[in-house]
Amino acid sequence: MDSHIQKVYVPMTETGFYILLCLREEAHGYSIVKKTEQLTNGEIKISPGTLYGSLSKMEKDGLIRFVREEEKRKIYCITALGTQVLDLEMKRIARLYQSMEAAK
Amino acid sequence: MGDTKIQLKFFSVPEWQKEETYLREQHKNGWEFVRVGGLGVYHFQRCVPQDVIYQLDYNTDSTKQKSEYIQMFRDCGWEYLQNYAGYSYFRKSASEMGETEEGIFCDDASRLDMMKRVFVGRMTPLLVIFFCTILPQLFIQSHNQIPESRGFFVLYCVLFVIYLIAFIQFGVRFWEFYKSAHK
Repeated sequence: MDSHIQKVYVPMTETGFYILLCLREEAHGYSIVKKTEQLTNGEIKISPGTLYGSLSKMEKDGLIRFVREEEKRKIYCITALGTQVLDLEMKRIARLYQSMEAAK
Repeated sequence: MGDTKIQLKFFSVPEWQKEETYLREQHKNGWEFVRVGGLGVYHFQRCVPQDVIYQLDYNTDSTKQKSEYIQMFRDCGWEYLQNYAGYSYFRKSASEMGETEEGIFCDDASRLDMMKRVFVGRMTPLLVIFFCTILPQLFIQSHNQIPESRGFFVLYCVLFVIYLIAFIQFGVRFWEFYKSAHK
């Protein structure tokens, strides 16, 4: 993983994290919004401008790839690099959580 | 009174939030935005006064894949209105939103990204004109002895001031936003 990816994505925004988490399965933009809403009990609602910007950036950086298009909706999927970044983030968040629990 | 009206309004490059507020106020007062064209000619038509949120996005990537771009916003409940000077116009009624008011961006990182896109797309050409035309011309005309150059000198002085104001405005906006995002 090069330093650009490290710098931009570790740590990543909440939106970025949910996008990668959802794209472990093929999905289009709006289904990412819906799934994130379900996962967070409606607390996180990703807005389309943020989503569009994040998806284009992640595709350019090779974290996700375009799979196909269905009814004007682009379907994406996570790449090996994306999985690597997501794993790093998961470990970081798990560590945060453990520290928080230990400090109680 | 007629059912349509036209208003002239000028918003400089970094003032998209002012423009969003302006369109929202108009709709609240019963004037629905129809389109904008020319040099800030805003067309409205009479409507039931309503709180409708207007949002502008600046994304040149989207022009290559316009229909996918619009579809994503439509899926999220945003009506696409038009493109004007690189900006895409969207609106969504406040009644369709939950308790919290929605925007087309949900975090500061993406708001800052949009600002950067505006800067690259709109301010870079201005900076090039400024440094490659206005500044050298200002220098040349001020050293010219022919009488016509006086007019040109004044013209380039005016342009110099306009451009300087635009840069300062953008700089201040960027700085304010950067500060608020890093509190």
